[in-house]
Amino acid sequence: MKRIIPLLLLVIILCGCSVTSTYSGSFFAMDTYMTITVCGNNPEKAVKKAEARVKKLDEAFSAHNKKSGVYKLNKNGSAELEPDAVELLSLALNNYRITDGAFNPAMLSVTELWGFPDKNYKVPSENEIKSAHKNVKPEKITVKNNTVKLNNKGMKIDFGAIAKGYTSDKLIDTLKKEGIKSALVNLGGNVAVLGGKPDGSDWAVAVENPDKKGSYLATLKIRDKSVITSGGYERYFKKNGKVYHHILNPKTGHPAESSLKSVTIVGKNGTYCDALSTALFVMGKEKALRFWAENGLDFDVILYTENGGLFVTEGVSDIINSDFDYKVVKRSDYE
Amino acid sequence: MNKRDFIAIGVVVLLSVLGFVFFALKGSGGQTVKISVGARVYGTYPLSENRELKIKTDAGYNLVEIKNGRVFVKDADCKDKSCVKQGEISGGSIVCLPHKLVVEVTGEGDFDAVAR
Repeated sequence: MKRIIPLLLLVIILCGCSVTSTYSGSFFAMDTYMTITVCGNNPEKAVKKAEARVKKLDEAFSAHNKKSGVYKLNKNGSAELEPDAVELLSLALNNYRITDGAFNPAMLSVTELWGFPDKNYKVPSENEIKSAHKNVKPEKITVKNNTVKLNNKGMKIDFGAIAKGYTSDKLIDTLKKEGIKSALVNLGGNVAVLGGKPDGSDWAVAVENPDKKGSYLATLKIRDKSVITSGGYERYFKKNGKVYHHILNPKTGHPAESSLKSVTIVGKNGTYCDALSTALFVMGKEKALRFWAENGLDFDVILYTENGGLFVTEGVSDIINSDFDYKVVKRSDYE
Repeated sequence: MNKRDFIAIGVVVLLSVLGFVFFALKGSGGQTVKISVGARVYGTYPLSENRELKIKTDAGYNLVEIKNGRVFVKDADCKDKSCVKQGEISGGSIVCLPHKLVVEVTGEGDFDAVAR
């Protein structure tokens, strides 16, 4: 009989999360729809804490909320930012440097010309683009304590291509502090997971097929990772039969023409994954894969090209499941 | 190990499997479509039953159709019509940001989230 109690305990453990519970909370923030799913003791409390954290970060990072430091910075050229925004700015500028400008957090004045922030889409004239584009000089930005100066009239920053990745990292930290060991954070399609699923298996994250909503390029089995996708297929407008998508090439001020449909980055750091998904989309296939070969020890890449080719780097080859024919890219291909 | 140990291990494995199956089946019963507007759940419908839903709120109008195991936004009076452009889904969600409308397919799926 003595053996019964440990055996029952084992049964409970093997049943997974049944002794603790799962809670899912959804809300709108950062111009998107977010869902946080948590398994653990008192998961509702942890989700509420995470939600409050998002709302605070949203206010700190927003370029159009008049209360945010970023808004004031863009309006006046100088402002005190929240510590989170200062940290994010320095991460953004670092990604600008390591991607040789393919990721650029200071393009807002050009993005506004195309009408992407307020959805009043239009094709700006070449002169308009040139005059806004010549002010895009992130090197000039200075940070002292929490006061940021742009030092260049007409330059505006925005964190749209990195804020959700950073936020997911901070949410995972918040949940860990609450003692949570199993969670999924989905910030409008930017996904991060903590640990494995409540039943002990890996989380399964599908990568959307840009050609057909509701179908998928692949499914990835992950734990303690972020999966972040960028593509021109989510936000775009058409004018005179031509498609203009929202990812601008920072070098030209025009939508990036990189012959890629989507770029997915899988890695431990959501901030880095978010910035790189945009940067590698801008770079195009060859440059992107070379960047991965030279820097990609802590991330992997899934590229989908305009002519339907699917390329995955070797680190994800054993966690991917796909109905497509895909090519595994090896680091040794680039030596 | 003696015979009783084997029986004990057998019982543990059996109970675990039963427990797992119970929790896996709990609350399932096919996929459902959950429609919400802001924080309010508008309704939940089986994905297997065809129907048309006219959703009018203060924010605006969306026409959602469930057809042949797929769901899509057929029409809407929002500015960018991004919800209509998102097409048909049988997993994941469609979001109309201006109207704060979310059409979500939940239940048995092959994955837990969609990166996009």
